[in-house]
Amino acid sequence: MKFLANIFDSQRKHFEKGGKLEVFYPLFEAKETFLFTTPHRTHGGAHIRDAVDSKRFMSTVIVALLPCLIFGIYNIGYQYYAAQGLQADVMNYFCIGMWKALPIILVSYAVGGTWELLFALIRKHEINEGFLVTGLLLPLIVPPNIPLWQLALAVSFGVVIGKEVFGGTGMNIFNPALTARAFLFFAFASDISGSAPWTFLGGDLVMSAKQAVAGWSGATPLAIASEAIKGSSVESLMAFAPGDYSLTNMFIGLIPGSIGETSTLACLVGALILIATGIASARIIISIFLGGAVMGLIFNSVADGSSNAMLAMPFYYHYVMGGFAFGAVFMATDPVSAANTNLGKIIYGFFIGFIAVLIRVVNPAYPEGMMLAILFMNMSAPLIDHYVVQAHIKKRLSRG
Amino acid sequence: MDFTELLSFAIKNVFPSNILLASLLGMCSFLACSKKVNSATGLGIAVMFVLTITVPLNWCIYTFLLKEGALSWTGNPELAKLDLSFLNFICFIAVIAVMVQFVEMVIGKVSPSLYGSLGIFLPLIAVNCAILGSSLFMVEREYSFVESAVFGLSAGFGWMLAIVLIAAIRQKMRYSNVPDGLKGLGITMFITGLMAMAFMAFAGI
Repeated sequence: MKFLANIFDSQRKHFEKGGKLEVFYPLFEAKETFLFTTPHRTHGGAHIRDAVDSKRFMSTVIVALLPCLIFGIYNIGYQYYAAQGLQADVMNYFCIGMWKALPIILVSYAVGGTWELLFALIRKHEINEGFLVTGLLLPLIVPPNIPLWQLALAVSFGVVIGKEVFGGTGMNIFNPALTARAFLFFAFASDISGSAPWTFLGGDLVMSAKQAVAGWSGATPLAIASEAIKGSSVESLMAFAPGDYSLTNMFIGLIPGSIGETSTLACLVGALILIATGIASARIIISIFLGGAVMGLIFNSVADGSSNAMLAMPFYYHYVMGGFAFGAVFMATDPVSAANTNLGKIIYGFFIGFIAVLIRVVNPAYPEGMMLAILFMNMSAPLIDHYVVQAHIKKRLSRG
Repeated sequence: MDFTELLSFAIKNVFPSNILLASLLGMCSFLACSKKVNSATGLGIAVMFVLTITVPLNWCIYTFLLKEGALSWTGNPELAKLDLSFLNFICFIAVIAVMVQFVEMVIGKVSPSLYGSLGIFLPLIAVNCAILGSSLFMVEREYSFVESAVFGLSAGFGWMLAIVLIAAIRQKMRYSNVPDGLKGLGITMFITGLMAMAFMAFAGI
C-alpha cells in the first residue's frame, strides 16, 4: 500500500495546476480516490466526518450487484445447455456465461467510461463515480444476445443524454442505466421485446452447429404469461415444457431473461447488503412490493369474465418474473433520481409497483412494465417532493 | 362508446398521445412558464378549463352551423346545401378568445398574484396552439359530442400534468451544473424529450 501511495505522491505534481499533464487531472484523481481515501476535505458548510464519499457509496452498490452478476453469468451457461437438452458441470456454465457476459460488460464500461472521461476533461470536473454503477447496471438489464453496437449506442445515450447534459452524477433526473435501456427498447424494439429469444444459443462460436431442442422458444415467463389464453397464466407457465417456470424456479432464477434480473433471490441478497449499509432506502423497496401487491389484488378482483389471462395471476408471480425485483432493489433506489423526502419515498415506491403491474397486465405490447414505471416515477419524483415539502411547511405554519 | 372505452380513450390522450409531448402543441407557454410549480399549476388549470369548454362548444358550432349540410335543421333547402367549413378557424378562435377573456377576468379577480406571475402568457392562451389544435383535431378525427368533451378534458389534463411535472423538475435543477450552451431552454428541450419517453409507459392501455 505504501508503495502505491508513494507512486501517487511522486506523480501528483505533474497533474496539479501548472504541471505538464494538468489536463488529465480528472484521470489521476479517479485512480487515486479509487485506491485510497480522498485527501480532500469538504469545503464550506458540511461538517460530517466520514471516509465515505460517493466513490465508496457507489462501490457498495457494485458489491451488492455481485450476487446478481455471478448468478446471471451462471444462468447464461445454464440456459445455453438447457436449450440443447444437455447438462454440464458448473465450470462449463460459468465459461459460457463469461464468454457472453464479459464483452457486454467491457463494452459498457469502455464506451461509457470514454464519454465520462471526455466530459470530465473538457468540463474540468472530476470523473464521476456514478458511472461505475451505471456501467454495470446496464449489462445486467439487457438480454445476453444483444448486439454490442446496440449496447454501445445505448450506453452513449444513457451517459450523455441521461446524465452528462444535466451536469453529471447527482444532477440527473432519470436513472441513466434505465434511460439507456429505454432507448434500446424504443429504438430496437423488435430485437429486445419479450418474445424474442433471450437465451444465448451459441451462434457461430460453437464448434458444431448444435440444434436447439425442438419446441425450445426461449420466451421469458412474462411473455408466456401475457400470451396465455383466458384465465390460465399460471397454468401455461406450469405447462411450459422446455423450461421450468414454477414459482420456486423463477424465484431462484434459472429462467431466460436479462442477464442479471432473473434471480429474485440474488436481488434480495443485494437488497440486504444495500439496506444494511444504509445505501438504499428500505422504504422505497418495501413500498414497491406493496404497490405491486395492491394492483395485483385489484386486478384479481375484476378478473372474472375478462379475456385477459394475466388479470387472474396472483401478485407474487409478478415479483419473481422479469425485472420487478431487480428494478425495485437497484434501479428505483438510485438516490439521485428517487424522491428524497420520507413520505415522498413511500408514494414514489408505491406507484412504481402499481404502474409496473398495471403496464404488465393491461398493455400487451410492453410485457415488462418495470422499466417504464420507474422512469415515469423518476420524472414525477421532484413533484412529489415539492408537494410533500409544501405540506410540511403548511403544517408547521398552522402549528404556530 | 361505453365507459371503459371512454376511459381508455382519456388515458390515451393524457399519456401516450399527450397533446404537448406527442403532438408538440403549446410548446411556447410550456417552455416559458415552467420555472415554478405554482405558476405552472395555475396556467395548467387555466388551459385545461379553456380546453374543456371550447372543444365541445366548437363541436356544437361545427356540427350545427359550419359543416357541409349542417344547416339542414333550418328546413331551408338553400341553406342545407351550404358548406361553411372555411369559417372553422375564425369561429373557433373567436370562441377561444372569449373563453380566455373570461378566464383572465376570473383569475385577475380571484388570484392577483397568479395573474401577475403568468403575465402576458395568460391572454396568450388564446393563441396557444394546443387549444386551437384540439378543436381542429376534433374536426379532423370526427369525434362525437361525448368524445369531444372527453377529449377536451383529457388533453387539457395531459397538458397540465406535463407542465407541472417539468416545472418541478426545473425547480429541482436549479443547482445542476448544466453545460453553458444548454442552460435554460436547451436542457428543457432535453427533459421534454425524456419525459415523452416516460409518458410512453401508458401506451396501449
